[in-house]
Amino acid sequence: MLKIGLRAKPTTSIRPLASRGLFIKTIPQPPGNIVGTVNDAYVPPPPTKSHGSWHWTGEKIVTIGMAPLVLTPFVTGTAYPLADSIMGTLLLYHCYAGFESCIIDYIPLRVYGIWHKAAMGLLGLGTLIAGYGIYVIEKTEQEGLVGIVKKLWTA
Amino acid sequence: MFKSIIRLQGTRGMATQAAAQRLKSFKIYRWSPDTPDKKPHMQEYKVDLNQCGPMVLDAIIKIKNEQDATLTFRRSCREGICGSCAMNIGGQNTLACLCKIDQDESKELKIYPLPHMYIVRDLVPDLTHFYKQYKSIQPYLQTKSKPADGKENFQSVEDRKKLDGLYECILCACCSTSCPSYWWNQQEYLGPAVLMQAYRWLVDSRDQAGKARKEMLQNSMSLYRCHTIMNCARTCPKGLNPGRAIAEIKKQLAFD
Repeated sequence: MLKIGLRAKPTTSIRPLASRGLFIKTIPQPPGNIVGTVNDAYVPPPPTKSHGSWHWTGEKIVTIGMAPLVLTPFVTGTAYPLADSIMGTLLLYHCYAGFESCIIDYIPLRVYGIWHKAAMGLLGLGTLIAGYGIYVIEKTEQEGLVGIVKKLWTA
Repeated sequence: MFKSIIRLQGTRGMATQAAAQRLKSFKIYRWSPDTPDKKPHMQEYKVDLNQCGPMVLDAIIKIKNEQDATLTFRRSCREGICGSCAMNIGGQNTLACLCKIDQDESKELKIYPLPHMYIVRDLVPDLTHFYKQYKSIQPYLQTKSKPADGKENFQSVEDRKKLDGLYECILCACCSTSCPSYWWNQQEYLGPAVLMQAYRWLVDSRDQAGKARKEMLQNSMSLYRCHTIMNCARTCPKGLNPGRAIAEIKKQLAFD
């Protein structure tokens, strides 16, 4: 029964799931997501802690670290450039990790291949530029990042 | 109590007088592999609630028996212990045998197969990949040393308590197929049901393969695609919480 369904001739009305991209050619996926025979176990990607637990722990530490830094300017004012630059750096990583997660979810390597790598590259490039931007802000603006938010708030 | 008395009288009256029909419409997803060029469609069936058991499974068995023998679905135990009749009923993944029919017959009930799965026919999803994933976590006791008395692996009452809320899972796949992350990446992400079982073997005090079990999850896809959306805990027909189990795995792995 199962095989009849899977071997059914593709017609114009039923398109294979993975090649649905409008402009981008995607990698065709195995029918029923089955790699190997039906009795083989799923094979996980090779273990890499930098993509696994370390990545997760780092993300959480950065997020927790940001919480007090968001609140400090309310108490101490904007006179601490060090706290401000740490905040900028952590925020940059926080955003990077968030977008990276989106890319892994929506543009997976398995389906999009080179486009996944392109998206990751673009994100890396954007992060570098944003990092330089933060550097410039910290150097030129008197009150740093917090000062800019303050201006936006009162504008 | 009062309601049940009324219903009892109602059924008693049927032997002598024509029973008042309470027709409720059930819209059921239909697709057959025999006609692959015909698109899936919703077929409507009317069931008399006075002549039908209280659960959704009763209704679809009644439809199959009396109206349309080609309607295909899985069912076995009819009491929520086998997990065969998992389907999407009224927008929520649940077991048809544990889901009561809304007695308001003016409302229709829509029944779909488990979402985002390959469909074998009608309400039957292809669970092959789900079982392959379950197999990959090696869901059995692994020990390096033999038990002291040569017979049993003993466990303290406290250690046994850690398995409560985990071992009850019947692998109906309701939670996994309600998880958006599983919809996007089910080929690589293990999904809540399988990860909860992974945790069930990680916390088992008798198991000694914890290192290998943890190492298997050390990549960006298998475990860390969980974004704590928590649809799993919301939908579980057995009232379990796979989201919590996944969080516990992440905690165990955090400084690993």
